[in-house]
Amino acid sequence: MRRASGKGDLMTDKLILYKEHLNSFLRKITKGFELIAPVRNTYGDTLFEVISSVDDVSIDLTNRPILSPKRFFMPQVETLFAYRYDKSGYTFKDAADSTPRVIFGLRSCDTRGILFYDLIFQEGLKDKYYLDRRKDTILINLGCNQPGENCFCKSAQSGPFLTYGYDIQLTDLGDRFFVETGRPRGRELLAGWSYFFRPATQTDIDEQYEVVLESEGKFRHRLDFDAAIDKLINQEVAPAIWEELGNRCQNCGGCAYVCPTCYCFNIFDSPGSEKEGERLRTWDACTFAGFSRLAGGYNPRQDKTQRIKRRFYHKLFYDKQKYNIPSCVGCGRCADICFGRIDMLSFIRLICEQENKVSEPAHRKLGELLLDAGLISQKDLDLAIEKQAATGHATGRFAVAKKPLGAQLVEMGMVNKEAIARTLGYQLKIPGTAENVED
Amino acid sequence: MNNNIYLPQLAVIKDIKEETGDIKTFTLAFKDRKFKKSFSFRPGQFMMVSVFQAGEVPISISSSPAQPGILQLSIKKAGSLTGKIHGHKVGDEIGVRGPYGRSFPVERLIGKNLLFVAGGIGLAPLRSLINYVLDKRTEFGRVTILHGARTPSDIPFKHELSRWPKERDAKVLVTVDRPDSRWRGSVGPVTTLWNKADVSGQDTLAIICGPPVMISFVVMDLLKMGFSEDDIISTLERHMKCGVGKCGHCSIGHQLTCVDGPVFTYREMKKLPTDL
Repeated sequence: MRRASGKGDLMTDKLILYKEHLNSFLRKITKGFELIAPVRNTYGDTLFEVISSVDDVSIDLTNRPILSPKRFFMPQVETLFAYRYDKSGYTFKDAADSTPRVIFGLRSCDTRGILFYDLIFQEGLKDKYYLDRRKDTILINLGCNQPGENCFCKSAQSGPFLTYGYDIQLTDLGDRFFVETGRPRGRELLAGWSYFFRPATQTDIDEQYEVVLESEGKFRHRLDFDAAIDKLINQEVAPAIWEELGNRCQNCGGCAYVCPTCYCFNIFDSPGSEKEGERLRTWDACTFAGFSRLAGGYNPRQDKTQRIKRRFYHKLFYDKQKYNIPSCVGCGRCADICFGRIDMLSFIRLICEQENKVSEPAHRKLGELLLDAGLISQKDLDLAIEKQAATGHATGRFAVAKKPLGAQLVEMGMVNKEAIARTLGYQLKIPGTAENVED
Repeated sequence: MNNNIYLPQLAVIKDIKEETGDIKTFTLAFKDRKFKKSFSFRPGQFMMVSVFQAGEVPISISSSPAQPGILQLSIKKAGSLTGKIHGHKVGDEIGVRGPYGRSFPVERLIGKNLLFVAGGIGLAPLRSLINYVLDKRTEFGRVTILHGARTPSDIPFKHELSRWPKERDAKVLVTVDRPDSRWRGSVGPVTTLWNKADVSGQDTLAIICGPPVMISFVVMDLLKMGFSEDDIISTLERHMKCGVGKCGHCSIGHQLTCVDGPVFTYREMKKLPTDL
């Protein structure tokens, strides 16, 4: 790391930075890096911005930035390469971005979003545009003392504070920041300016722990991701719910654009003149009508309902299956932006609270499939349905959903989860045991 | 070799063969000699083909890997980009990157009888495998090739369809939906050829490529004939942007057509939720 010339030595990986030294510290960073931090603009919106002069902007560490910082790793529009045609044929000019950056004031959800991007862009053939930027960017996370209105990172197990993945993590202790160094390059960065820091004392450590506990207790929303994923695996979301979500979706793509983990992209050419142009990559969204449309017109996800369903299956179930974590970090930005309430927060609550009567047909379907596959007997199935009926009620304003049939069967030891998943046509894959590649 | 997976290799069009009114076979030669030497592929794999100023499109390789140094793509004019490719002349340059995707399970086919069923341009990826099998004739059993086209003038690879039956233990049957006055062959969907084809599920693998409707009817019949779900192999087509498992466009359920496919066994295919 170019700035870490070892001017001082850090005695420990837990440090204290007094708030009056913050701007001086950030000013130092701008000498060797492009500094990105949450800035409150004149419209009152907080956004991650490149900061050239620390003293000319108002850095906002109170509000969670409206957009995730993903554009600093995959810009909304980026040039992959330029092409040019002349007598000798085509030549390419590969776009490269090797600016060393520091992103300061990332929220835990955002850092977790970047860790999810790592999985996608490193898997298989490596995406150098992403990895080059990632390699040269230092992440300074700021844990959240006060979860926002729509935040549910605690339920998503991605916050409010991180235990790994950051280069540096800060906790606001009022007059000072508690500073943790994670990966070596975070430590190297601080070592360059060790005079800003003092080692944390036991009192500081205790105080930080209290802040974490207090913050964890402040969440308005507690969502059961596992229960929601089980509903998807067991196909227990009533068709009527998908219909409704499809009707309400306006295909705006906003949910995907604000999401820290949504990574789908489009590639196309942008002609400059007759002889030259650029191949561009832009963000895309699976809710757009043309996302899956083939030349010739066939579209496997023609219907809005199918696209919405795909979105939630992908983010909750398929990514969990593939990477062992769902691709929702609980930042709540989709809930902030979607006026149709087809966001992750509303969706998980909706399917976990759906009235038992609407999920009845789906229960029958799972039962029939298991019977057909010879995995349970009719007698066992009847018994499970009888037991299951006693687990919910539809009276009063707040119906309590019955336990999913799949869960009931598993609990009674009649069939295991994997068998259910297989029966429904999904194979549970354990990371690291890719068994479906033949060559 | 560069480490940028999105940067295409340049290839010069060496030959263009008009197969039908809307299908052309392009023979390509890589400009970069080192890349040309290191390039290898397996039947069933595809390339991302660049037409600069227009973009990229995935195209199956239609030539046999048993003939090194030759790369052929048979392209049907289906949209604006493939339309632009059709406008190219011999000597023009295009970009290609790949090969990508899971190929036909060639090793599993060794020693087996093979039944190929193709509809329309679906014969292109099968042609790669058929020619590979015939190039290594002794390694495989009986070869039966069934092809269905809309009209007699829509039949691609006519030269090969008449050459293949001359190989040992090889049979070719062609049918059309709409005959013209000179057509003497079969009329109807490709499934009308079952009687003449005389195939059974015994020691035989079926490799199918064509429109989704054709695939589903063919599979239904094959299952009735005793083919096991593992012995029915097909390819899926999806919209693709990157070809390398990143962009998300070709997803089907938890699978990506570009890296988990495009070749799937029927047992795998039937598990895929087609609209999810």
